[in-house]
Amino acid sequence: MDYIPIILIFLPLLTSIIIYIADDKRANALAFVTQIALIFATLQYYFSFRNIGVHKLTLGGWDQFIGITLRNDYISVSFILTSVFIWSIVLIYGWPKHRKDTKYHFFLLMQQGCFLGLVQTNDLFNFFLFIELTTMISTILILYKNDGYSIRAGLFYLLFNSIGMLFFLIGIIMVYMISGTLNMEVTSYKLMVIRDLGLVKLSFIFMIAAVGVKSAFFPVYNWLPKAHGAAPASISALLSGLLVKSGLYGFIRLNQMFGLEGFKSFFIAVGFITAVSGVVFALCQKDIKQILAFHTISQVGLILIGLSTMEGMQYYGGLLHIFNHAIFKTLLFLCVGNIITVYDSRRITEIRGVFRTMPFLSVFMIIGMLSITGSPLFNGFVSKSIIKYSFSDFPVLDTMINIINIGTAASFIKFSQVFFGKSETLMGESKTDNLSLFLLSIACLVMGLFHVPITRELWGVELHHINLLSLEKWFIYFLTLFIGFFIYKLLIEKDYKLVKSIRHSSISFEASNILLVLFVSLMILWSRVMV
Amino acid sequence: MFNEYLLSFILILISLYGLCTSKNIIKSIVCLNILEISIILFFLRIFDVSGGSAPILPNELSSMVDPLPQALVITAIVIGASVTALALMLSIKVFHHYGTLDWKELLEREG
Repeated sequence: MDYIPIILIFLPLLTSIIIYIADDKRANALAFVTQIALIFATLQYYFSFRNIGVHKLTLGGWDQFIGITLRNDYISVSFILTSVFIWSIVLIYGWPKHRKDTKYHFFLLMQQGCFLGLVQTNDLFNFFLFIELTTMISTILILYKNDGYSIRAGLFYLLFNSIGMLFFLIGIIMVYMISGTLNMEVTSYKLMVIRDLGLVKLSFIFMIAAVGVKSAFFPVYNWLPKAHGAAPASISALLSGLLVKSGLYGFIRLNQMFGLEGFKSFFIAVGFITAVSGVVFALCQKDIKQILAFHTISQVGLILIGLSTMEGMQYYGGLLHIFNHAIFKTLLFLCVGNIITVYDSRRITEIRGVFRTMPFLSVFMIIGMLSITGSPLFNGFVSKSIIKYSFSDFPVLDTMINIINIGTAASFIKFSQVFFGKSETLMGESKTDNLSLFLLSIACLVMGLFHVPITRELWGVELHHINLLSLEKWFIYFLTLFIGFFIYKLLIEKDYKLVKSIRHSSISFEASNILLVLFVSLMILWSRVMV
Repeated sequence: MFNEYLLSFILILISLYGLCTSKNIIKSIVCLNILEISIILFFLRIFDVSGGSAPILPNELSSMVDPLPQALVITAIVIGASVTALALMLSIKVFHHYGTLDWKELLEREG
């Protein structure tokens, strides 16, 4: 059991290298063998992990102050379980299309190894290393189609994320200057007494700016819609479902390390602005992939609102929403990928009558849409209501979350227009793989219905006192849908000039760098004035 | 007083200015490199011991240079080099597709 964390990192990496060297389409099946082995390893690890609670592993027999250490607690283990699940789904989904493609499987498995390393490491520099590796590999995966649009998006993604991560490097240097170690756990003890030092705050700010770029916080999310729009469906699903979460994982770890109290309200504000701007942009889009990409931004904002306090029910709501979002957003992206292949179009006005042409897929897609809008019985609802539950004493914040929900509902009512009507373009029959979509839908329902035992088992949190299925919740949900429908009918469908100008607005590279510098300066200002 | 701290600080500011204003992809990549090199200079300067010896065990411990920053710097340089290589490769491809290296022109193009 002791060495399973290392197996989890190196098994995908080794298999990817074997696949690359063999360069044979039969070797691609090794990817599935690896996934099955990983599932067994993860389950075995989990059952021995739950007796200990925290598992630490120091590599190479060094002292933990200087050696590289892996540390798994309940957050890491939940990330490992989710990532193995999502990667298996993505591999199943991509198999009919990419069966003969060696490089696709090579990069996908390499990405998985890096991601599993990222969520297990207890070393700041290794964290930086793994994030840079995942950035580079995702760039190559975004380029998969090799057309002009994807190359442009990939270049933007690579350069902007690298600049962000250089800020993380400055932060690491400062932490090493202060504490003399890069071990996250030891650093957190050492920083406990000198939390209010200016240098400590500055390093925290630089690192948060970096993970903010990675997980698309408000002023620095311009790379995300471009990258998600350009990548093939399975890669967008992976990017949106898990790789954006690597930044949020870093956010959790940094907050645990530094424990600065003063930034809570700042993060709530940033989360709210992120969520609202994501929803507004999503409402104005006409490209179905862009709509989903902007919804990723808005959901990240919601997660950030939940995580901002780092304690209590709200935090667990945010944490649960990370995994729920990973499941339903992967489901939506994969469904949309199938629709795009069949209709050969991405414009929401051109796709009609999906319900008639692909009934099974429509059912799965409706499950995903019900989850993201927060319908009772589905998983999005659970985490959203837990975040809301903790705000019941603050009417302003409660209203804010309702506004976000209404925007999401309006946007998905717009999206649901693709189901109805009759399609004008006749398309060829394409083989859609329903197994992966089916598994994801089941996961949506399971997380929605059995959230109480799941959270008790994984995190030891009791949620049963939050009454989720009261009549009031149903009423609020239908009211949200109703208002959303009117917003769609009255504002969006008319396609006013303002909507058009928001849709066509794009921010250039140097402007997004200015926004990044602005984000950092804003946090420094906040730490001077408010903390 | 002119020392390495000041130098690296000035270089960081120059590169940030360049990133915020340059409209050319190649210039952006160059600025990214300057930013990285200035951070590395800062890193090495902080943990430098004047007159210190190489971190090999039989030496006196007091005058030894901390080996960890150097190990980290090597890794950071390698990452920077690979990011630069990838970015340059992509900018060549962008030029082949669009015939321009200007960010603004590039983002305005359709398709």
